[in-house]
Amino acid sequence: MNHKRKKINRIKVIISAGVALLLVLIALFASVIAPNDPYATSASAIRSAPSGEFLFGTDNLGRCVFSRVLYGARTTIAATFILVAISFILGSIIGILSGYYGGILDEIMMRIADIMLAFPQMVVAIAVAGILGGGLSSAMIALGITMWTGFARLARSHTFAIKNCPYVQAAKLAGKSGPAIMMAHILPNIIAPLLTNALTQIGTTMIGISGLSFLGLGVVPPTAEWGSMINESRAYIQIAPWAVLYPAIATIVTIIVFNYLGDCVMEYRDED
Amino acid sequence: MAKQILKRILGLALILLVLSFLVFGIMYLAPGDPAEKRLTSQGVVVTKEILQAERERLGLLRPFIVRYADWLRNVLRGDFGVSFKDDLPVAPKLIKGLKNTCGLALTSLLLALIISFPLGIWSAVKKGKLVDHIVRLFSFIGNSLPNFLISVLLMYLFCIHIKVFPVIADGSIKGLMLPALSLAIPMAGRFTRQVRSELLDQLGEEYVVGMKSRKVKGRFILINNVLRNSLGHILTIIGLQIGTLMGGSVVIENIFRWPGIGKLVMDSITARDYPVIMGFVLIMGTIYVVINLIVDITYRLLDPRSF
Amino acid sequence: MDTILRINNLSAGYGDESVINDISFEVEAGKRVCIVGESGSGKSTLLKAIHGFGGVTKTCGSIETPKDILLGIVPQNPGGSFNPIRTYKAQIMEALKSNNIDFKIDEVEKTLQILGLNDAKRALASRPYELSGGMNQRMAIATTMLLEPGILLCDEVTSALDVKTAGMVVEQLLEINKLKGTTILMVTHHLGIASKMADYIGIMKSGRMLEYGPAKEILENPQNEYTKNLLKAVPRLKVS
Repeated sequence: MNHKRKKINRIKVIISAGVALLLVLIALFASVIAPNDPYATSASAIRSAPSGEFLFGTDNLGRCVFSRVLYGARTTIAATFILVAISFILGSIIGILSGYYGGILDEIMMRIADIMLAFPQMVVAIAVAGILGGGLSSAMIALGITMWTGFARLARSHTFAIKNCPYVQAAKLAGKSGPAIMMAHILPNIIAPLLTNALTQIGTTMIGISGLSFLGLGVVPPTAEWGSMINESRAYIQIAPWAVLYPAIATIVTIIVFNYLGDCVMEYRDED
Repeated sequence: MAKQILKRILGLALILLVLSFLVFGIMYLAPGDPAEKRLTSQGVVVTKEILQAERERLGLLRPFIVRYADWLRNVLRGDFGVSFKDDLPVAPKLIKGLKNTCGLALTSLLLALIISFPLGIWSAVKKGKLVDHIVRLFSFIGNSLPNFLISVLLMYLFCIHIKVFPVIADGSIKGLMLPALSLAIPMAGRFTRQVRSELLDQLGEEYVVGMKSRKVKGRFILINNVLRNSLGHILTIIGLQIGTLMGGSVVIENIFRWPGIGKLVMDSITARDYPVIMGFVLIMGTIYVVINLIVDITYRLLDPRSF
Repeated sequence: MDTILRINNLSAGYGDESVINDISFEVEAGKRVCIVGESGSGKSTLLKAIHGFGGVTKTCGSIETPKDILLGIVPQNPGGSFNPIRTYKAQIMEALKSNNIDFKIDEVEKTLQILGLNDAKRALASRPYELSGGMNQRMAIATTMLLEPGILLCDEVTSALDVKTAGMVVEQLLEINKLKGTTILMVTHHLGIASKMADYIGIMKSGRMLEYGPAKEILENPQNEYTKNLLKAVPRLKVS
């Protein structure tokens, strides 16, 4: 019974990981797959309905929506991955250091994390992105300010739990240095929950980045990004609904795939 | 009890102090010169002398810590300064916006609760049945939808195709429905998942078996015991979701042109009207922290063991 | 005397797997019966099978009781069988209401007093997490008694208690039996307790009933080797 469930869970993980990988590959090879230049405007093909030439139709500047969705995938997915990766690395380093050395460093770091956690992420992000002025990098900084805390807390509590284990103590007695122990003995043992957390953060981060872009606080037009595409074309949604619906579907599908993958991996790990 | 609460309130005051410092610090370091911004937005031709005079007048030339203390003292008295845009005090603007935002946020919170509680309970009770699978699917999808997307799709559906609701929220109840729904749907998805998992945890408790063995009616077990015992955790989750709701309402207010604090802050961001942005972050942060303190106290009241 | 419980060739267990096999015995109304066995002997499974609860399924045989009687069970961990953070009063009221019995405060207090809970008001106002194991045990017995069961099924009710408290609970169960005439069926691993309170004793091992009969016969003239060994090992339980 349990064995069977575990097997089903593993299949779920593999399938959703496969689909997620496919999305990443599409984003990576956007320039190869895209039939048209996503930035080429065409006065003769403004807001034309989906057809053989323009699979998803065109927007009000005559740009190919399909190509823009593909390039948008690159912007959104890349920005998300980079942001999650940076938060993951920084947060984990801070968390492991805090957990391993404890004391005053730990106290300071965790107080900072507490303060960051005390404020609503999107409110902080909007204000910070607003002050820094538009641009993808400022949107990423704005979201990252609060995001690292989750990783730091997780890494800290796991480090705390294992730092007195015999093998860590043995390494200490053998005269290994702190950083060496952290790299060789602590990190490998706590990386799994951290990675799972990173995975579950992808969906939320994507919502955050496209939300900021939608508000005009993320990417600067004409760069293709789903949130800003939806924002630009919603004004003429009754004339050219495809210019909104296709990036919308792309956003929804991507978030659902990554959220599902996150859920599956969590469930799979819980089974152990 | 009183001692613990007092300790929490002191901690909260400290956090708010740090927040105010951060807000002021970020504004201080922010690119762009407020004096220049202010002059240009008023249509004054900026020369070096005028600029310097304006800086002097706004007190921008004093040291950082003096400016901070001064600003904080005013804020504590409810004075958030004057807008760079029109020289009017910021506080009344923020309060007016806040009222509208509260209306929207409370409506959507209520909607989310009305949707999610019955669904969460139903799906927990029918665990593994078809209903459970359907509810889980919908709550999963709801949870994955960004609210700006929902609002665009709802607008497309109801305003353009079925023409039941106005596109621009005009302050009427009808105008409130779509923005509230846009905020409520992803929240309802999250709550449903949480209510379900919380109830499942409680349903697995030993006392449920004991009560069943005493032939206590299912209704009593579910409502008076299982639901009652889960309430603390569910409340905590709702408290944390208020933060997401605040961020979401900024987006939604701008889409539907709802005259709330989120609309105000976006207009101010475009105009680099710093006093409004500072007031916004400070007010939202305070509300969020206070709400979560109340949630924390309520949690303790609900579970006498936590003392 | 009327027979209140008749068990014929009963086999039962979890899922398809039988834990107890081919068990038969009868209980007369008003008697006190103890089923004794070590852990894993299947005595708790037997109790659950009789109560019809706890995931035990009958694979063979029959359990007969008069239609109109209620089977009350006092579980192994009585404190855990109540919501830890609600008052006993509220939970007792719910239990009574569910079984269509009026909540009469005098009746409730009297029952609590029989069980040695003299400050009944305070006991009712307290929550399971605030009380000791012994107190919770008595509250559980009291609650079950208030449901006016035809048979009171007790699952190892003394195992979690210290010797003194266990002795008191046994006394109180005897008192209940005497005052209300409630039939008691108790499973225990403690032959000493059985010898103190039982009219009839059954000895179980590996899912089978080795011996069943009047307490006197079993205690004084055991037929089975296993029973003889058990008797030798009995620590004398002091009941004043």
